[in-house]
Amino acid sequence: MDLISILILLAKILIIMFGVLVLGAAMAVLAERRVSGFIQERLGPNRVGPCGILQPFADVAKLMMKEDIVPSKANRFIHDLAPIISISVALSTFAIIPFGNTIELFGRQIKLIIADVDIGILYLLALTSIGVYGVSLAGWSSNNKYSLLGGLRSSAQLISYELSMGLSLIGVIMICGTLRLDQIVLHQTEYFWGVIPKWNIFLQPLGFITFLIASFAETNRLPFDLPEAEPELVGGYHTEYTGMKFGLFFLAEYANVITSSAVTVTLFLGGWHLPFIEHLGLSPLVLSLLQILTFLTKVILLVLFFIIVRWTIPRFRYDQLMRIGWKVMLPIAIVNFLITGIVMLFLL
Amino acid sequence: MIKIKIDGKELEVDPKLTIIQAASQNGIEIPHFCWHPKLSISGNCRMCLVEIEKMPKLVISCATQVTDGMVIKTKSEKVVKARNAVMEFLLINHPLDCPICDEAGECKLQDYTYKYSVGSSRFQEDKIHKPKRVELGPNVMLDVERCIMCSRCIRFSEEIAHQKVLTFTERGTNVILTTFPGTRLDNPYSMNVVDICPVGALTSRDFRFKARVWEMSSTESICIGCARGCNTNVWVRNNEILRLTPRENKEVNSSWMCDEGRVNSFKFVSNENRVNGPMIRKDGIHVEVGWDEAISKVVSELRTYRKHEIAGIGSAYCTNEDNYIFSRFFKEVIGSANIGFLQHTKSGDEDDLLIRADKTPNSFGASVVGVGGENGTDGIEHIFKGIASGAIKVLYVLEDNIAANPRIAEVLSNLEILIVHSSTKNETTKRADVVLSASTFTEKYGTYTNFNGYVQCVRPAVAMIEQERAPDRMSMSRWDKFAARNDTWGKGTKRDARSSWRIIAAIASAMGGKMKYAAAEEVFKEIAEHIPAFKGLSYSKIGSHGASLKKELIKTSKL
Amino acid sequence: MSSYGKIIRKKDLSILQKTYIPEILKGLRITIRQMFRPTFTSQFPEERFKPDSSFRGRPVLVVENGVERCVACGLCARVCPALAIEVQAAETELEKERYPLKFEINMVRCIFCGFCEEVCPEEAIVMSDEYLLVFSSQEEALFGKEKLLKSTEDLKERLEFLRSHR
Repeated sequence: MDLISILILLAKILIIMFGVLVLGAAMAVLAERRVSGFIQERLGPNRVGPCGILQPFADVAKLMMKEDIVPSKANRFIHDLAPIISISVALSTFAIIPFGNTIELFGRQIKLIIADVDIGILYLLALTSIGVYGVSLAGWSSNNKYSLLGGLRSSAQLISYELSMGLSLIGVIMICGTLRLDQIVLHQTEYFWGVIPKWNIFLQPLGFITFLIASFAETNRLPFDLPEAEPELVGGYHTEYTGMKFGLFFLAEYANVITSSAVTVTLFLGGWHLPFIEHLGLSPLVLSLLQILTFLTKVILLVLFFIIVRWTIPRFRYDQLMRIGWKVMLPIAIVNFLITGIVMLFLL
Repeated sequence: MIKIKIDGKELEVDPKLTIIQAASQNGIEIPHFCWHPKLSISGNCRMCLVEIEKMPKLVISCATQVTDGMVIKTKSEKVVKARNAVMEFLLINHPLDCPICDEAGECKLQDYTYKYSVGSSRFQEDKIHKPKRVELGPNVMLDVERCIMCSRCIRFSEEIAHQKVLTFTERGTNVILTTFPGTRLDNPYSMNVVDICPVGALTSRDFRFKARVWEMSSTESICIGCARGCNTNVWVRNNEILRLTPRENKEVNSSWMCDEGRVNSFKFVSNENRVNGPMIRKDGIHVEVGWDEAISKVVSELRTYRKHEIAGIGSAYCTNEDNYIFSRFFKEVIGSANIGFLQHTKSGDEDDLLIRADKTPNSFGASVVGVGGENGTDGIEHIFKGIASGAIKVLYVLEDNIAANPRIAEVLSNLEILIVHSSTKNETTKRADVVLSASTFTEKYGTYTNFNGYVQCVRPAVAMIEQERAPDRMSMSRWDKFAARNDTWGKGTKRDARSSWRIIAAIASAMGGKMKYAAAEEVFKEIAEHIPAFKGLSYSKIGSHGASLKKELIKTSKL
Repeated sequence: MSSYGKIIRKKDLSILQKTYIPEILKGLRITIRQMFRPTFTSQFPEERFKPDSSFRGRPVLVVENGVERCVACGLCARVCPALAIEVQAAETELEKERYPLKFEINMVRCIFCGFCEEVCPEEAIVMSDEYLLVFSSQEEALFGKEKLLKSTEDLKERLEFLRSHR
């Protein structure tokens, strides 16, 4: 690896960090507040900056200036560590997401992906499992019963939904025959009968739905936000967090939303693929930029979907959550990959 | 004893009593305006009408004697109707502006309107207007419109204060209470008419419009204006005393008190001239210091001199406890016999009713507990001579303005050290080397013995920095109960002063004496054990109405 | 049993309803439609809300012909459940005899219940339409007479409201 490729890698990391965390998560927070406002026939924050664009930065500035309180009998080290785990997991998942096709710049082939790993999907699943630690450690180290319950719920919930999430992905892997995410996207750039893009959503509708529902659960978003559940657990695992440590959990949630959306887009919605654009004969650079834009648009729409769902559906009860996870999602996922297997074995 | 029946209740009563007396003795309330237990019967308000079986008409219970077998009904339909009518008549010309009236809250007419009136009036015409704001005398204001012509004030002035100045003039609804031409209501007991007035017609010029009665807390206390020790209630709002009212005690003051005591005996408590915290003279100027420094200063000064060079002047203004501790301190810790106290008598300023020539509350008690020495006030003569000759160099004075006495003022400059307990800055504190701020009678627990050997209790009605108010025998206002620290009405001044006995006990223990008391009650317990005249007395026995000393044991008392 | 009324048993859900999907879509339709409806937010510092005459803003003392109506009876102070009011009466040469030498409302304590207005025999203390109360210290929140006095013209609506609802 030469110096330039290291610099390029660093630039990609910076862009992703900046894009996902600072712009993405912050704008997602703002979008959440404004969308919920509109849904409730009010305006939401519109004072800081034009249309309230700077509101999330004002929030962060406030959180930064707040006192950092650690409960007297809490485990200080783990209490500090938990939000770091949460945010770093949320960010590092993005490393394997291809946000565009290969681009040619200054005579170099640059892949628009940070880590082009062979086992992309496994890496994804592994990281989401680590994400549980952030939440459950936060719950345990706070020395607070609400936090502990929140942490416990989170572990149980994530483990339950991880299974169906993984199983729902098997269909995609079988169809594409690879674990590499860039390959999966490339696989989706083809067409059925030259008309319908060969996105996995059309091949794997059941898998898509299970994966989407599982992503909601994995990101602790309504209707699966039981670890936080304000009415019963005060704030759940982050009850005892203040200042920027709380801010990190908060940002991690939105970073997770963005990451999940990006993963969903990559796996099921054709990633950066904009149908029929390749027929227009555009120059490769413009094409690449358009593809990046496409990817961003898809992700933004999906994030909006996440947000709207939050303000539509009420929270599940804990037993309902577990029942759905084990008795509905898991069988569906299993059936899905069985059918996929049978179809591939006998029909193709 | 005869048997009567009131409202179905069989009672055995003295045949000399009237119905209303018999009823009130047995806890049955008959409403009344003009009748007062300490005054003659007038029978003009008609409020106390009751029904008696076999009598054709209702009778006024205040003027009807009980007879054997009498069956009285105070709540029958006829009686209730009659009361309603009386109330309606009384309210015809009485102005209905209770919000303005100062009596509101302790007004008999107001209370009875709620209790015994139908609550409406058929009177359509204009009310008769009469003079308002009439100055009856130096202390009493009259609002004739509010007067319901009960004549209590007239009877009080004639029968108790022996001053015939008040009378009714005009007739019918135009009756006016007034003074005879050229006279004023200026007898020394004139303000008692304010207390007995059932409505707001007579008001105290000293207290008028100062506070509503429900805003104040009242604490049982006694007046220290003279040796009588009239029982009083101290009314406090915002930690400031606003008025004194007499409290009934048939052993001491019946239901009355004099104007001088009522108006002037408490004003010094909230005076700006109060000593607030102990002071030491440094380079000729008084400097406020902490208690520890002041006490150690006193201790070092007392240790510098020989015991016969030190003299102490007790005080007839102080409680028995203060004087007792003072005399023990001198006799046991210092070992000096130079002790005495000053009498403050104003001969001529006395009468048969309440006012005594002795203007101190506790000269009797002071001499009994040992401040006067065994030969009465001879101790003070000895001290005079000692100071004049220069034999006495240190003088320790308990709450008394000795410099006002010309004989002492002359020789005061002979002294080397003057230590003074005082609540107020005066000529004596000006010349003192150490001033120890003493709490007043409304700020401490203690007992006073009146001229007749009757021991009575005072308790803190005002909060100090170191002491809250007495929880016992106080009716607390809503304000006092719920005030928070940052509320303006909870912010009254709290002063820094201590009971004299507490200061002396602290000095005594610093000098090696054994004096440790947690409360004045413990001191009194010791007095009761050591001084025969006090034997058997305790705070609980004294209670709110006092108890008498064993006077026959005083001659032999020795400390 | 009959006295307890009929027991209504919920109908079993159809298979389509059991999947929740149509119901979720229905819900999403509602929320998305809501997004495009007009909002009710008023831009506070620029747009001021003018309360109705029935609104209970901060209590004020009514001034009529240059003199406050208050006779310092202390009933408002007595009835105030938050003990916010302190009145010190004094004598005046006017016909009403008493006037408030000091009338202080601790606006930090005030709970805007309107009991003072209700109990006032002189209609001297009323709830105004002022709702903007900002203090930077406890002392600033003590409203004395100078801040409380308000003329009858300014309080016309409220006084009329009180009269019509007596």
